[in-house]
Amino acid sequence: MNAQTQITEVTSPGETREMSYAEAIRDAMTIALDRDPTVILMGEDIGTYGGAFQVTLDLIDKYGPERIMDTPISELGGAGVAVGAALTGLKPIFEFQFSDFAALAMEQIVNQAAKLRYMLGGEAAVPVVFRMPAGSGTGAAAQHSQSFEAWFGHVPGLKVVQPSTPEDAKGLLLAALADPDPVIVFEHKLLYKMKGQVPTGYYTTPIGKAAIRRTGDAVTIVASAIMVHRALEAATKLAAEGIEVEVIDLRSVRPIDRDTIIASVKKTGKLLCVYEGVRTLGVGAEISALIAESEAFDYLDAPIQRLGGAEAPIPYNPDLERAAVPQVADIETVARRLAKGEV
Amino acid sequence: MPVEVIMPKVDMDMARGTLAIWHVAEGEAVKKGAALFDIETDKAAMEVEAPASGILRQILAQPGQVIAVGSPVAYLYAEGEAVVGLPSAAPETSEVMAVADPAPAIATAQTPAQVADEAGDLRATPVARRLAREAGLALAEVLGSGPRGRIQRADVETALARRELKATASQALQSPPILSYATQNTPPLEWSPQPGDLHVTTRKGTGTPLAMIHGFAADSTGWLALERALPRDLPLIRIDLPSHGRSPLRRLAGFADLAKAVVQVFDRVAEGPVHLLGHSLGGAVALALSDIRPRQVRTLSLLSPAGLGPEIDGAALNGIARASTADSLAPWLKRLTARPDGISHDFAKAAMLARIDPDLRAAQQELAQVLFPDGVQAFDLTAALERVTAPTLMVWGRDDRILPWKQALAAPGEVALHLLRGVGHVPHMEDPDTVAALIGRHLK
Repeated sequence: MNAQTQITEVTSPGETREMSYAEAIRDAMTIALDRDPTVILMGEDIGTYGGAFQVTLDLIDKYGPERIMDTPISELGGAGVAVGAALTGLKPIFEFQFSDFAALAMEQIVNQAAKLRYMLGGEAAVPVVFRMPAGSGTGAAAQHSQSFEAWFGHVPGLKVVQPSTPEDAKGLLLAALADPDPVIVFEHKLLYKMKGQVPTGYYTTPIGKAAIRRTGDAVTIVASAIMVHRALEAATKLAAEGIEVEVIDLRSVRPIDRDTIIASVKKTGKLLCVYEGVRTLGVGAEISALIAESEAFDYLDAPIQRLGGAEAPIPYNPDLERAAVPQVADIETVARRLAKGEV
Repeated sequence: MPVEVIMPKVDMDMARGTLAIWHVAEGEAVKKGAALFDIETDKAAMEVEAPASGILRQILAQPGQVIAVGSPVAYLYAEGEAVVGLPSAAPETSEVMAVADPAPAIATAQTPAQVADEAGDLRATPVARRLAREAGLALAEVLGSGPRGRIQRADVETALARRELKATASQALQSPPILSYATQNTPPLEWSPQPGDLHVTTRKGTGTPLAMIHGFAADSTGWLALERALPRDLPLIRIDLPSHGRSPLRRLAGFADLAKAVVQVFDRVAEGPVHLLGHSLGGAVALALSDIRPRQVRTLSLLSPAGLGPEIDGAALNGIARASTADSLAPWLKRLTARPDGISHDFAKAAMLARIDPDLRAAQQELAQVLFPDGVQAFDLTAALERVTAPTLMVWGRDDRILPWKQALAAPGEVALHLLRGVGHVPHMEDPDTVAALIGRHLK
């Protein structure tokens, strides 16, 4: 897909190398392990097995079991150890096998990691990173396919990012590690094999900054993770009809980049939010509200539209699974109707 | 509760509308968004959609009746819902009469507060509201093109462009323009629209009416200068060709298709024999009409008619059909007249405004492809001209750069031929007095 390889916003120019999204994450962790002895990796089967999606493959051979720690099958226990380690000054990267399993560790993430800096008067910090493979499309059904970014985005004290490219997967993970507070990185499972040019050295992608992946004046699409690529594909098709769509890659759910979205909507007057999480009370609701509350309101020329996940658990049946989340054709249809003033 | 169906406000200075026809009979079910009835205003005819699904009851307005904007014309009931007493009597005549003097189209004198009050019940996007507010434009005067009549940004921009045009046009009218567009002065009240597939307006008078068919990429407002020069009591019928002026956009396979579309409308509007006048492509259509309906045509007048030879300035036709700004339109328009200063920039602006709809331009480009492929007239009416029995007048400018006047020599001997000096492709605009005098004599 052309659109994917065009996505390169090199923050620190220099040498690049083609990597997959998974390799870029591993590259980020390798660099972090090399340059900072306080960085450790924790998670179920991340050692010899290499992780549920092979992202930590072979790292145990280089760094040993003291820094690449396999944890028991207890997400709550593992996350608790990671939060505790962070409180003592380590920088743990804790991998969940599936983001769905983070539900088991909510106490540690929401009630401990997110709160301690505030409850201890700023005298403690929890510099932990939670990596969460998320999203549908792998046939893994209702308990292994969810998109929880809105859940965690609702908690002050957490930062939540969703990289959509190999370059951002590395840059945002390194930015998460550099951040003094807990950061949740949602990695989309369908993107692990996506390839792209990635700077080889150390760099960070700023948290809280969206990226404009394609410029246009007819409609603004704000999308995240895999939906960025679907939106870009829809935009390419619409361009053939003379409809130029602006595609914004949200990248960061919390904090959210209000300025970039507002500026774009002031230009186009039309907004479509595309996200994989359940549509109701999802990320798109927040974006819609922030536009309605902002000065961009007076520039709106059509009702704001949202395309999100169906109001149902992700089905196992592949056809139903596809139908449960926005696809290219859905985005194309709604964006076209918006552009033509039919909504 | 039954849903009230009202006479909508669909034009800037619309105070009342004529109900043309009901598409749904009393007691019939209708779905929300389906065509419910047609209305006609001073300027336009259009379809009104059902505001809700339901059974149509209590029809208060019959076809032909003039109704004040906002007055109920019928009610939509839910299935099985009891019919309540008629909420109010049919539209009061006094109310209709009270608005006989149309308010000025542009509400420059209105304060923003008044504008806001009036706009309270209108559907408009935030940006449309803001732009109207900033420009002091009353939203109630803007025709909404969005879903359920919602006023969108483009609608306000079009209304503002019209307002600016009216301002410049009223200045331009002080200097003597060769050409004028109807947007510069609203059509006189005696014009009334006729129902049908094409946009047709008529002016009452005495005697046999003169039916006029305009040329390619023009519309019937192009007749204004000639109309002023013609006898005041001559009844007139203006026909807008398909995909031109206010007629609906239509895909036509060729000239025969075009002629057929006009014949259908002609049969309906021409109650008896008429005098027929056509310019350029409209001349070819008039010629075809005379051939198909010889008994309905009393006389035929052709101004630089198409169809009498292969040569035509295809580049100019395509250029006019394609142009999307006044600047790109003006150079092509200049080819229409003999005098290079015949086309002012204001004229080009007005002409562009009449062609502001990209769909209309696309339809005309397609039509140019069909009728004039490779810059050649793909239809030949010389045989039809031989067959015409009605007395025929032909007027051609000697400096016509679109259709060479020598094509007039294809005409049989009975045709009265006038070749005007110092005149280009639009004799009715360049020298309306002479053309009117020739036509006037011809009709007698």
